[in-house]
Amino acid sequence: METRPTVLVIDDDADFRSSVQALLEGEGYAVEVAGGGRDGLRKLREHRPDVIVLDIMMESIVEGYVVNQAIKFQPDFEAYADIPIVMVSSIEESPDERFSRASELELVRPNRYLTKPLDIPLFLEVLAKVTRRRSAAT
Amino acid sequence: VTEAPEGRERIVVIDDDYAMRLSCRQILARSGFEVETFEDGTQGLVGVAALKPSLVVVDLKMPGLSGMDVVRRVRDIDPEIVLVVITGYATIGTAVEAMKSGAYDFLPKPFKPEELRLIVARGLERRHLHRKTRQLEVERELMRRRFISFMTHQLKSPLAAIHQYLDVLQRLGDSPDVAGKRAEWLERCLVRTGQLRELIDDWLLLAKSEGSTLVARRERVDLRPVLEGVVASYEGRAGGAGVSVSAELPAAEYPVLADRNCVMVLFDNLITNAIDYNRRGGQVRVSARAEPGEVVVEVADTGPGIPAEAVELLFEEFFRVPPAATPGDGVDGGNAGVGGNGGRRWRGTGLGLPICKRIVAELGGGIEVESEVGSGSTFRVHLPAYREESGSREEAETSWA
Repeated sequence: METRPTVLVIDDDADFRSSVQALLEGEGYAVEVAGGGRDGLRKLREHRPDVIVLDIMMESIVEGYVVNQAIKFQPDFEAYADIPIVMVSSIEESPDERFSRASELELVRPNRYLTKPLDIPLFLEVLAKVTRRRSAAT
Repeated sequence: VTEAPEGRERIVVIDDDYAMRLSCRQILARSGFEVETFEDGTQGLVGVAALKPSLVVVDLKMPGLSGMDVVRRVRDIDPEIVLVVITGYATIGTAVEAMKSGAYDFLPKPFKPEELRLIVARGLERRHLHRKTRQLEVERELMRRRFISFMTHQLKSPLAAIHQYLDVLQRLGDSPDVAGKRAEWLERCLVRTGQLRELIDDWLLLAKSEGSTLVARRERVDLRPVLEGVVASYEGRAGGAGVSVSAELPAAEYPVLADRNCVMVLFDNLITNAIDYNRRGGQVRVSARAEPGEVVVEVADTGPGIPAEAVELLFEEFFRVPPAATPGDGVDGGNAGVGGNGGRRWRGTGLGLPICKRIVAELGGGIEVESEVGSGSTFRVHLPAYREESGSREEAETSWA
């Protein structure tokens, strides 16, 4: 019995959420969306997604990095630490530039970094790869 | 009652005269300072380097290293250390020279305890002011550096959202799910395009005025029709946001010396801000009054208010008041969005108030804001009244009736 992999999209841009949700549902994913960090973390617990698409959310003091760090390193989210995170942003700013100290960088480095607008074939390929790997592992 | 502005501050006294060291120590210790004394310049400098005091009192005339040398070297150690030199009447000339080398002030011998306390207090006050200013400069520089990255983000994120809609439409336009959303998505593309255009317009307006002026002409402008016009044009927007807008314009006319287009932009910005940064069921009150030589217009809202620390930055480019922490904080707030990006959490281009400030300054007026967190903000604009040059006084007076 095959279940559909779930993608959690955390992005403060409602338009971006709409188009990505439709795209992914069309590709056979179950999609959950959240417009901010707190809501995102709540949905993470509720739905235990297979992959998280996370925007940096620059307008709220790089909330995206905070969410990424929380999922990967906070004891509260230990059960979710292995869920891959694909970070997206409209600016081509790698976290390496924003965070100068290596120790900081390790805390914020996402599994994968993509720029917006998403290159749809590449985006789908990345999601397919990470979700396949996960279903193979379980 | 000389109180150090922050905690116990350290003062170093360098004087070869034992009695002088003792009395300085007593006077300053009584004012709550931590005092260390040294009997010559060489030891004194070692002490200054190790102790990093806020202020150094140094006698100009000492055997060995002179007070002048001490002044120069303390400046090298840390230019922020305040230097006060003590000098006999015979060496006032040297004291002036010391001040040219960076000493803050001098104290002629003999001096009263009160005089020492006063000069120390003033010197420290200046130090705090100086440090505060420098801190502000550093923050401004950081803002400038983040500016490019932020501007890029502001321009690119709406483009990304639009592009993403169109790309998905093109690829999956035939699938029933996507086809059903087509009209809604196209509408959103238009809205985001409009916002992007607004941002670019504002940005270009500011960039263009860099080095030149926004105000093209100075003419008689009656603010009554301007304000009424702006209020009327935003009734729909206000209604959609559940905000009521009222204008209180008791006089028949409010003539100012201004540029009609500029004052329209000015009040357009202030009134849309007051609508957007408001609460459902809130009010916007626009009022005008004539004062000697000027017309004062107030735009008051019942929004979340502006925290004191944000008020200073309010007129900086791209600064926007962070959305208040509401119960929906971090969640897609879902406020009946007017303007703003898809997230609805931040509104406006972040350039409106800098433009207002520029316009008002060019017109020779002023703009200020009064705000209370939780109850709202009032923006007050002062514009120079138009003076009838040919018309009679009576005419001018009746026009205010």
